[in-house]
Amino acid sequence: MDLGKQIASRLEAATFDRIAGIGLENAALNRPRIKHSILELAEVELGQGDSAVVIGAGPSLHRRESLTRLGKSGYTGTIVAVDGALGSCLRAGVVPHVVVSVDPHRERIVRWFGDPGLTAAPSDDYFRRQEMDPALAADEVAANRALIELVDAHGPRMRAAVATAAAPAVVARCETAGIAMYWWNPMYDDYDRADSISRRLYEANGLPCLNGGGNVGTTAWVMAHAVLGKSRVALLGIDFSYPPGTPYARTQYYPELREMLGDAYEQAYVRTDNPFGETWMCDPAYWWFRGVFLEMAREAACRTVNCTEGGILFGDPLEVATIEEFVHG
Amino acid sequence: MKEFLKGNYKVAKTIEEKKDAEADSTDAFEKKALSRLGGSICFVSKKGFLWKGDSNGSRKADR
Repeated sequence: MDLGKQIASRLEAATFDRIAGIGLENAALNRPRIKHSILELAEVELGQGDSAVVIGAGPSLHRRESLTRLGKSGYTGTIVAVDGALGSCLRAGVVPHVVVSVDPHRERIVRWFGDPGLTAAPSDDYFRRQEMDPALAADEVAANRALIELVDAHGPRMRAAVATAAAPAVVARCETAGIAMYWWNPMYDDYDRADSISRRLYEANGLPCLNGGGNVGTTAWVMAHAVLGKSRVALLGIDFSYPPGTPYARTQYYPELREMLGDAYEQAYVRTDNPFGETWMCDPAYWWFRGVFLEMAREAACRTVNCTEGGILFGDPLEVATIEEFVHG
Repeated sequence: MKEFLKGNYKVAKTIEEKKDAEADSTDAFEKKALSRLGGSICFVSKKGFLWKGDSNGSRKADR
């Protein structure tokens, strides 16, 4: 088996090690701010009909101009966006009904909402290095300032589906921007085990536990069908991979893979041909996300239509279409 | 290691078994390194999408 796939096969346990500690610390800090459960969102009118479009922050989003096309399509259903895609959505005139935030990282994630504390370009090159939101990479400080204004302007029209694990800075930012928050617990482990963390959290705060599939994009998709009850769900910008020609140094886990594997780091990347005649590349985490998504999709009571026109997320039972075909089909 | 050294010859060098502590520290290093490559939220296999507690004694999650 390829090295990348070997590593991917061990990431279920590794993810627990990565985020459980900080996620539980954040849950304790966020506790006084919890007012609404995610289950209440199902009672709120969020667009029309039985469909949803889930928007991730993958590179296909701007390569295929997916948001401009979604805006032009006249779509009136529910729009669920990951936090990393919020800036792109608002700049394109697409105001999501729900923004999903999961990652417990204390410093990074608030940038997706506009970080009021950012006065100079940080030494952390996380946002400059990747293609998730090119607007943030060009002039970080100016882009951040503009994003704060956009989020503040549209905040009261949006709702945030916030994990109890989310960074307190994200929660504070949502409050300032007037984004109503609806809470849930990440499912950390098997809730049937006597020593289950998920069960302990549920018993402490009464919030449902959501199986997140490793990343915020999959979480947003779970939200669309398992919480909001949508029976047709389109995916935009959920690529789990990097487009042809992306240098290794501009990938999410490059520093970690370099440090872990030395000169052999290139062997950890997996290349996959997609139905559009392109070969996209992913790191082990993204390969794991892909496998988990397909496994979960086979269990889901909804039709999932991949409208990304890129990436590596293809296979049974996913359908493939353009966003226009999804909206008008 | 001993199971690999059976034969009709003698090995000149004495091979010491790897100490448990050394193995533990290698495992810990590997675990820590792998944890940096993980995702931002867990995936729990075969436990459904949404668990809303044990209603009516059932432990089933919504699918």
